[in-house]
Amino acid sequence: MLSYNFKYELKLLLRSKWIQILIVVLLALFLFAGYNGQQKVTKRIADIDAAQLEMKNADAIMLSLLDSIENGLSVNSVPYWRTPDQPTAAGNNYPRVAAMTPNALTFTAVGQSDLFTHYIKPTVTGEDFTLNFGELSSPVQLLFGSFDLAFVIIYLLPLIIIAFSYNILSYEKEHGSLKLLASEPISLFRWVLQKVVLRFFWIAVITILAIVVTLVVNQVSFPGNLSKILAFVGLTLSYILFWFTLAFLINLWLGSSAKNAVGLMGFWVILVLVAPAAVNQMVNALYPMPSRTRMVNEMRALKAASSKKQDAILASYLRDHPEYAQQDTAKYSYWHRYMASQKVLKQELEPLLNTYENQIKKQQEGISKLRIISPAIIMQESLSGIAGTSTLNYEDYRKQVVDFAGDWRDYFLPLLYRNETFTSGLVTGLPQFEYRERVKIPVLLNILLILSGGVLLSGLGLVLYQRNKARGNLISN
Amino acid sequence: MIRKIIVKESKEILRDGRFKIALGIVLVLLALAVFIGAKQYQNTQDQYREAENHERNMWLNQGEKNPHSAAHYGTYAFKPKYPLSLIDQGVDKYTGVSIYLEAHKRNEAQFSAASDQTGLSRFGDLTPDFILLFIVPLLIILIGYNSFTKEKENGTFSLLKSQGISGFKLSLGKWLATLLPIAVITALLFVLAAIILSTLKDFGNFHVATLLTLFLVYLLYYMVFTNLVLFVSYKAKNSGISLVVCLTLWIIACFVAPKTASNFADKKYPYPTRQEFATNVLKDKEAGLDGHNPFSKEAKRIEENLLKEHGVDSVEKLPFNFDGYIMQKGEEHEAEVYFKHYKVLKEQFYNQTKTYRTLAAISPFLPVRFLSMSLANTDYETHWSFADAAEKHRVAMQAVLNGDLVENSKTGDWDYLAQPELWEKIPAFSYEPPGLSENLRRNTGNLALLGIWFAITFSILFVVTKKI
Repeated sequence: MLSYNFKYELKLLLRSKWIQILIVVLLALFLFAGYNGQQKVTKRIADIDAAQLEMKNADAIMLSLLDSIENGLSVNSVPYWRTPDQPTAAGNNYPRVAAMTPNALTFTAVGQSDLFTHYIKPTVTGEDFTLNFGELSSPVQLLFGSFDLAFVIIYLLPLIIIAFSYNILSYEKEHGSLKLLASEPISLFRWVLQKVVLRFFWIAVITILAIVVTLVVNQVSFPGNLSKILAFVGLTLSYILFWFTLAFLINLWLGSSAKNAVGLMGFWVILVLVAPAAVNQMVNALYPMPSRTRMVNEMRALKAASSKKQDAILASYLRDHPEYAQQDTAKYSYWHRYMASQKVLKQELEPLLNTYENQIKKQQEGISKLRIISPAIIMQESLSGIAGTSTLNYEDYRKQVVDFAGDWRDYFLPLLYRNETFTSGLVTGLPQFEYRERVKIPVLLNILLILSGGVLLSGLGLVLYQRNKARGNLISN
Repeated sequence: MIRKIIVKESKEILRDGRFKIALGIVLVLLALAVFIGAKQYQNTQDQYREAENHERNMWLNQGEKNPHSAAHYGTYAFKPKYPLSLIDQGVDKYTGVSIYLEAHKRNEAQFSAASDQTGLSRFGDLTPDFILLFIVPLLIILIGYNSFTKEKENGTFSLLKSQGISGFKLSLGKWLATLLPIAVITALLFVLAAIILSTLKDFGNFHVATLLTLFLVYLLYYMVFTNLVLFVSYKAKNSGISLVVCLTLWIIACFVAPKTASNFADKKYPYPTRQEFATNVLKDKEAGLDGHNPFSKEAKRIEENLLKEHGVDSVEKLPFNFDGYIMQKGEEHEAEVYFKHYKVLKEQFYNQTKTYRTLAAISPFLPVRFLSMSLANTDYETHWSFADAAEKHRVAMQAVLNGDLVENSKTGDWDYLAQPELWEKIPAFSYEPPGLSENLRRNTGNLALLGIWFAITFSILFVVTKKI
């Protein structure tokens, strides 16, 4: 019966041009979305490359300046307070580019990448807590979001499934062929199930095709990114299956085609539009970010206080670091005092700054717990995780940059306190930044969560079917 | 006749269980959104006031200080929240709320709410504008998708024809009946908002006229949707197809079009990265004159001219503080550099805006989205005007501080301390957002687009349904 149904269904889908339409529509959507995402990634890579090139050029200048200074030549091209033999000048004017390089699948989900910057140049005297990770982008753009693969999969794919399967049973009913069907030696439940499964099969095949074509077009190496690609496909298929089980349930539960469509649409609105927004707002209410304006106030009060007692701070700093103390106190410059008080400031601000980090961590945990409410949330978290553009990825990048900024500072600080000069020999030993993608997403667990939602729904479908059958209103109603 | 149709259709709509459920959900969502919004508004406003007072106190109580130290210490300009943000949050979530005003540097607004939230926030918020822009059109579809198809399906169409009713009257009746519940819900929301806004203490520049204009804009938006839905319902073979086509239109208009437009605008008129922008500014600053850089050519020229003018041979002999003077010149130059670069940025913004306006041809959502945020003063343009006002304040502030240095101290005397009275000479930063007429003037394009959308869809609907 299944093979018979399969053949009949395929013929039907081909004759009604559904398969052809699906191939064209899905391919077009995926390719367009992939193109959009790739545009952003290309710009990101170009920006980072430009910054690296600029750094290389600056390094060449620095080396030639150091060379001149070391050979006792006078340097006129830069003002005296910027010659790179001074550790602070070198560490401030010739920073490294701490770049967050994209992965092969970054183009699939824009995620938070339009909100945050992808390279930072930490300096010696710069403050870690004022490093601006925000990107210069139009807020209108951020508001509208991007037409990327994640959008196509999370928002549009369910709608296509709805349009494809809202009237499986009701169509037969409305065209009078249901009674004919009921006389066939197959239970209606089975028949609907087979139809839904076959339609799932076709959408799954076409979606995989679209994904593969999109990946090929965007030159993603398959062996190199196998786990990411498998995770991407697995999540997408489970999400598709979830919507098909929902369609199955609605088909058995409601009556007319229009009612089915309205019902499915209602689920879509609640699961895709309302639930994520509600969870976000709930999490924000549960773990509110402390006022940033208040933070600004506190930071400034602390700064004002510390600038008044810079001498005392330096003295206490040198007590802690006797290795830096010098006989001649007149040699302590502005930078000595500044760096010492900077350290104190950082320590004093740490608890305040940690509250922000902790709150966002708690929010993220809250979402992890509440993600079972909607598969759209799970998908969004997972897809942006695979693309390396999730909030967690950017938090992690921020941490890596702050760590690097510490390394950078620690490289120059001993020179400053020992009143030594920065020399060309030290250039090769400068700390280098390399971004590592350390955030892992529980892909299998997420797939299981989405699927269990589907199982739950199909169980419900079975119960509803039995009830309708017992009442005898499956065909007549 | 029209009245009879309206009564009949309304009765049918009201009896429909789906409509009741949907209406219930929408009302609950609306109430929730308004409630959350009002709380949020109050909260932000309190924080804003506290921060502003605190900052002003810090500034005034600096004690004796060198004016240039005070300039570096700087102050903050905080962006207030406007009453109608209760209805439309616009881009507020994505723009910073505070701008640091310091010597030598124009800073961007910092700390946008979005960067302090998880990626989930990109799904949007349950705010009144979300419901007004996305959900209410969906409700229109729900009410209107079978307006004509049900007559066909129930076989009442031929009955209707036999009554000798004119197509125009029939359509108009159905049109009004579809719009009526929507208008009532929207009116309810706006009345609720008006009540809440007028009970909030110090509700700023809230004007009933703006609220009313906003209401009319949304009403026009819903009329466009009603036209489209009824047209589809008239043309569709059956209710199912009509619903699917309407939903496709909705998805394209409200989701696909804005996102595509945003990608398109970004590709065509990209913003520089923050670092690129900073580097460009730095380059220009260095090529010209830098307040801290006495080796600069321009400073040298000014110095020579001054010495000649006053007939002295060194800057120490000038009757005023040369350092302060040259610093102010540097400040002015830097302000020009920033002006130049921000102008470039602004041009990209205007170009992007134009792109959105061109693409409004594919979606009535776009002009309404922009109009709504503009009227609520939560749009990007208002943010620009706030940032420009802050920059103006910063430049004026530097002039006062450097002026004090020039007049009251000697060249090279960096130990000079200004008296606390000086800090009072710099007024607190205040910003007045554009009013209704200004906003309407800025949005004539969007208004025209919305008008065109209405005119075209309305005429198509009534031309097509003229002959039934």
